[in-house]
Amino acid sequence: MSTATSTPTGTGKQPGRQATHKHSQPSKRGRVQQRWLPWAFLAPTIVGMGIFTLLPIVASLALAFFRWDIISAPTFVGFDNFAEVVQDPTVRVSFLNTIVFVIVAVALQLGLALGLAIMVQEKLPSWLRVFFRSAFFFPLILSAASVSIFMRYLFNEQFGVVNWLLSLVGVPAVPWLTTPGGSAAVVILVYVWQNFGFSFLLFIGGLASIPVETYEAASIDGATGWRKHFYVTLPLLSPTTLVASVMAIINALQVFDQPYVLTRGGPGDSTRTAVMVIFESAFQRLEFGQASAIGVILTLIIMAITAAQFRLSKRFVFYQ
Amino acid sequence: MPGTNGALRQFTRRTALTALGAGIVGATAASWPRLTGTDIPGRGDNSLSIAIMGTAADAAARQKVIDAFAKVHPEIKVKVQAIQAVDWKDFFTKILTMVAAGTPPDVVYVATEGAQLFAEKLAHPLDEYLRRDADHMKEYFEDVHPSLVEAFMYKGSLFQLPIDWNAANMYYNTASLRQAGLERPADDWTHMDFRSTLAAMKKAKPQDFTPYYWTNRLFGGVVPWLYANETSFLKETKSTGGEWLWDGFYANDPSRSLRSGGYQWLEPNADDPRVFESFDYLRSLVKDGLGVRPEEGGGGALIGLFASNRIGTTPAGGYWVQGLHEAGMTENDFDVQFFPKWRTQRHQFGTAGYAIMKTAKDKDAAWEWVKFSSSKEAMQIVFPTPNTTPARRSMVNEKLYAGTGPRNWKVFYETLDKFPTTGPIPAPPQQAAVETALMKNVSLAVSGDERQLKQALESMQRDLELALRRQP
Repeated sequence: MSTATSTPTGTGKQPGRQATHKHSQPSKRGRVQQRWLPWAFLAPTIVGMGIFTLLPIVASLALAFFRWDIISAPTFVGFDNFAEVVQDPTVRVSFLNTIVFVIVAVALQLGLALGLAIMVQEKLPSWLRVFFRSAFFFPLILSAASVSIFMRYLFNEQFGVVNWLLSLVGVPAVPWLTTPGGSAAVVILVYVWQNFGFSFLLFIGGLASIPVETYEAASIDGATGWRKHFYVTLPLLSPTTLVASVMAIINALQVFDQPYVLTRGGPGDSTRTAVMVIFESAFQRLEFGQASAIGVILTLIIMAITAAQFRLSKRFVFYQ
Repeated sequence: MPGTNGALRQFTRRTALTALGAGIVGATAASWPRLTGTDIPGRGDNSLSIAIMGTAADAAARQKVIDAFAKVHPEIKVKVQAIQAVDWKDFFTKILTMVAAGTPPDVVYVATEGAQLFAEKLAHPLDEYLRRDADHMKEYFEDVHPSLVEAFMYKGSLFQLPIDWNAANMYYNTASLRQAGLERPADDWTHMDFRSTLAAMKKAKPQDFTPYYWTNRLFGGVVPWLYANETSFLKETKSTGGEWLWDGFYANDPSRSLRSGGYQWLEPNADDPRVFESFDYLRSLVKDGLGVRPEEGGGGALIGLFASNRIGTTPAGGYWVQGLHEAGMTENDFDVQFFPKWRTQRHQFGTAGYAIMKTAKDKDAAWEWVKFSSSKEAMQIVFPTPNTTPARRSMVNEKLYAGTGPRNWKVFYETLDKFPTTGPIPAPPQQAAVETALMKNVSLAVSGDERQLKQALESMQRDLELALRRQP
């Protein structure tokens, strides 16, 4: 059944084929085609990646060593941008905010997603499972900016629905968006609400892949309730947890929409994040070099955290 | 018949791939104008490209002006690009992006917030054109208050002609005022009178009601209070020059001696004791439940709340009138008064007009557009309703406010006449950084105790120093 066109390599290293199909060796033209055809198919992607991904990365890295305001010609300033960025208290606070945000938001996001996934998978009839899977995933398909604008109205101190509901049970108006603690809480809440659906779906997939026999064996060994989840579900979900946490952390480190629309980083710098500072430096202060320098630092942090996660995963992730 | 099948399969695959390839080539060719951006209005032809902040509907609304312009200048083709933006800062960012992309518009509608940024880096001065067409422009300047014009002076040159403007006056809800047993406030009411008014309103209507609502922004936020207290968060100075304009067009104006080559904001001033005093006053309003902690954003959302009598007073300009009318308020339901007096009754205002870009393909044509847009004919087409205050005094009349109110619409233009030192939004070329530095500290300054206020102002001073560290 083999034909010249279906021979995988044409190198003659498959003895059976070589023996029975001497003439199936591709011609010179065919060999050239086989060698270059894959590259021809890959070329559009490679060119696209080069122009739209690699080039901006390299340009951004180079820009970090220049002072440039879009309008005037760029001036080489060496490491000045990095020095200024490191000394800028707003940048330092924004990175600290981002780290705190990542810790709290990712913990809540993964905890909520895992808890709900276990509940939906185990306790609910199949038709309700479909409903909740869609319901929990739904916020993710909404625009973060639109959601945040809507939430601004909900959390308005004077006229918001949240405070109105609280007033029904005698709770005085909470200044959600105008105090540092309140605004940070709302930003985290809105972010987690909108993003936990993705982790939830990953966990649902992970739970479905755990063999029923494992639980049966655990039950025979006397494991019930929490112990079953602690000794069976969590270890067997660890590969899923690794993927979910890596993605959640990378996304959270780049949070922008929710704090920008809800609070514009305030009050003070209480909800200002690293990406917000990049945006403000570049597009509001026209300091593109500084913005690139902050971007480079943030990229290095993301890479370091992700590398650490994969290194640590060797200890905590169990594969069946 | 494997051979036949194989050949057929091969033929079919090839045909499919060929068709796919042809399809891709065809689609690419068809969308080439989009891919290369040549379908962007004004690009690739000689038409004058005008950028305004707004939606496609706003651009369509300008068509009548374009038609009127075409009658006068059939040789100049005009295209309006409406650029959607959250605020002016956002709009300027988008214009700068167009500049960086090599596709700048020829003319841009710029508000006070960006006037000095454009004057410093992007705009072409109008001086020569004004000197050349002085006879024609005399009528315009006679109808426009010099305070508005001075806001567009930069280092002795004029960069824009004011088309519309708004001062931060004080709107009040007449029903709430009556309920508190109060009459219309006096023209020279003070900041303490204002406080008493708020207290009376709150006492009369304690539930679900906010006596003073204000937003955290550069216009109508804390700045009017600073101006009324004869200070600002930036040190205000004026540059020399500009005599050619003032002597040429405003020689007999009673405020001629006040005019300059333009405003300058070179140093921070957040450590001024009067700045502390003004913030402390607002802090006391918040503390006593007379005013809200200011949130960020525009005032648009407030219209519904104000119209439903849930807000007693708020600072805003003439742009609010049409919105309140559309929200169902009649001319008896709301009114406007001057901003309360403190050490002075100097107001804050913002204005806007067209700037010709340095990169404009045909500056003479651009000037003709700017000149035409400042004519009464064009302004009457653009401002059929009171959704802003026209820069021409003669247009701020009974007819414009008939059926909408407010009864005391004269307050709008009299703000300039009665208080000729009334000043523009403090907006140096580094306006975006300055605005961020102000706004990020306002909420903290007015929300806590005195210690927190001091810390917020120290932080503001430091942020402003950073924002202004590189002078052009």
